[in-house]
Amino acid sequence: MQPPDPDQLGPAVAFDFTAKRAGINYDTILSVVTRACAFSILLMLAALLIVLSSAAMPTIKAFGFSFLTGHEWRSNELEQPRRNADGKLVFDADGEQIVDTIPPVFGALPVMWGTAVTSVLALGFAIPLSFGTALFLIRIAPGKLVGPVSFLVEFLAAIPSIAYGIWGLFVFGPFMQTYLEPWLNSLFGSVPGLSFLHFDGMPTGRDMLCGGLLLGIMIVPIITAISRDVLNGVPRAQVEGTTALGATWWQSSKEMLKFSRSGLFGAVMLGLARAAGETMAITMVIGNNNQIKASPFAPAQSMASLLANEFAEASGGMQRSALIEVALILLLMSLTFNVVARKLVVGKGARTAAAH
Amino acid sequence: MVQLLKRAGIAMFTSLAIAGTCYAETRLQGAGATFPNPIYQKWVTEYQKANPDVKIDYQSIGSGGGIKGITEHTIDFAGSDAPMNKKEIEAAKDPVVHIPTVAGAVVMAYNLPGFSGDLKLTGPIVADIFTGKISKWNDAKIAEVNSGASLPDLNITVAYRTDGSGTTFVFSNFLATQSEDFKTSVGASKQVKWPVGQGGKGTEGVTAIVQAVPGAIGYVEVNYALANKIPFALLQNKSGKFVKASLESVSAAGAGAVDAMKDSLAVNIWNQPGEEAYPISAFTYIIVYKDLGYLKSPEKAKELVKFLKWSIGGEGQSLASSIDYAPLAAPVKAKAVEAIDALTFGGAPLK
Repeated sequence: MQPPDPDQLGPAVAFDFTAKRAGINYDTILSVVTRACAFSILLMLAALLIVLSSAAMPTIKAFGFSFLTGHEWRSNELEQPRRNADGKLVFDADGEQIVDTIPPVFGALPVMWGTAVTSVLALGFAIPLSFGTALFLIRIAPGKLVGPVSFLVEFLAAIPSIAYGIWGLFVFGPFMQTYLEPWLNSLFGSVPGLSFLHFDGMPTGRDMLCGGLLLGIMIVPIITAISRDVLNGVPRAQVEGTTALGATWWQSSKEMLKFSRSGLFGAVMLGLARAAGETMAITMVIGNNNQIKASPFAPAQSMASLLANEFAEASGGMQRSALIEVALILLLMSLTFNVVARKLVVGKGARTAAAH
Repeated sequence: MVQLLKRAGIAMFTSLAIAGTCYAETRLQGAGATFPNPIYQKWVTEYQKANPDVKIDYQSIGSGGGIKGITEHTIDFAGSDAPMNKKEIEAAKDPVVHIPTVAGAVVMAYNLPGFSGDLKLTGPIVADIFTGKISKWNDAKIAEVNSGASLPDLNITVAYRTDGSGTTFVFSNFLATQSEDFKTSVGASKQVKWPVGQGGKGTEGVTAIVQAVPGAIGYVEVNYALANKIPFALLQNKSGKFVKASLESVSAAGAGAVDAMKDSLAVNIWNQPGEEAYPISAFTYIIVYKDLGYLKSPEKAKELVKFLKWSIGGEGQSLASSIDYAPLAAPVKAKAVEAIDALTFGGAPLK
């Protein structure tokens, strides 16, 4: 670019940026305001952690570590007649049956299982699709296509999750129920070694498989967008070097993926964080049953869907506290995923920049 | 331009202020159960048409939220499907009154492709289905009460509510009277742990499962099933008769319970005797404190009493049946009006 000709600049453009107006120091104000903004965000996170931990204290105290390993989630009390060692009913002095009240129990293992399985299924679906799309955009797509395709992929991220949920409930679920699941289920039933995945009954399109795949569709945009940027960051010299050495397109793409693997892993982690925390859509297609079953056709419950289902009408302090503890676990999990992902993506970016 | 906007703004503000002070409005705030929400909204709309200086707002936030609100005095009246339990009554400190408003029923909605006619079920069979002991539609027990009908060899998919709800409270309490095993292994509450099936959030969630899955059975409120034209089963009542849930059979169940209304109007009307009584019926209640002093102003208390009498003791009841809620049977209505008349303000009667 040509340096601007000072003669052609009007008086309005020739503004002295160093001048202070009427004693107001904008630099100081800006510095104070931005500092306050940044700190208030940290403060919010801290407040969130403190409030959630203190509200979850009753169940943390009552159940301790068994909250993470317990497989029963029952919010109501049970009344059972007391029986002696021989299995006979026990009566008190007045001839009345003695009834034991069994307090509610809260174990988070089923919902952690549901979150884990659906997230893994989601990644299994989203990773190949996202990496494939990203590679296509970087290496194959003609210039005219890159813009529109990138826009459409990112547009998927802008669709509200409730819209995905409704689509999952009325379109995707019934489709899976009628076409894919019965076939898969009979396949699992007939192939030895896969029978543990077989579901005894009819798959209903509201299960871990549907939930996982729907989550997969939802996290494709974020993984695609980040992995595209990561692949873009591979130094031109690196790519051209491989081609100069006689690498085929396939070999040079492989090198490209290898070079940016930690960045790609970061993209996957961010996708995982989104999948684990997704609430509205998963609630509509996961089947909402707090159980641990191996079959992907069994209804289950994820941590987020449990909160969506039960929080509004949570009765009694213990149930509320248990739900908040689940929320706390979810928050810490997402935080870990995000921190790891940032480290990988940003770390990679820094190294790439240094290489230039 | 800016001047014009400013002037317009000031004009608007002053006109609003004048409108606000024109006449003293009485505002009543209610919140709670979702099941009676459509009829309460209708009552509020119709009542406000006749009494424009009263502003009533009912928010359907769930029975639990309503009870929390009245206990903490953040609302003027609460709606609840389940009566307050001992702990909740203790937490409320001052004596509360449960006033039945309308009756509802829980029906067994099903999806049986190729099955025509009325499916018949008994309480023990339903309990066995919801505990997973009966898992096929052509089970001998179901076939026995449906003689002549051809039932498919189809798996049963149980659909239940995952959120705490008055519907689950009524349904699980009824099943607890039908099966000792259900009572001890699942229990009766607003939210229970169902051993089989899949959950939907809200009545619409359960309905979606029933409609989408062949062989599904779920429990929903009768007016919801009627409005959405979902088939539901005839259920055997205490007298041994198979009855269809209807406004009449639900009102009949309510009438059967009037003798039990002594200290409190909060009585259970599931599994009532009577030839015509539908077995899974329940009242829904408006809960207020016996002394309306917490409303602070006597005008407000008078308006609340007027509204309650209009909806429960008067015109409101005839509106109920128009949207498939069972009106209170005459003797129950008399009891409810009696309870409204007994409300006080600062110890003094309001009449």
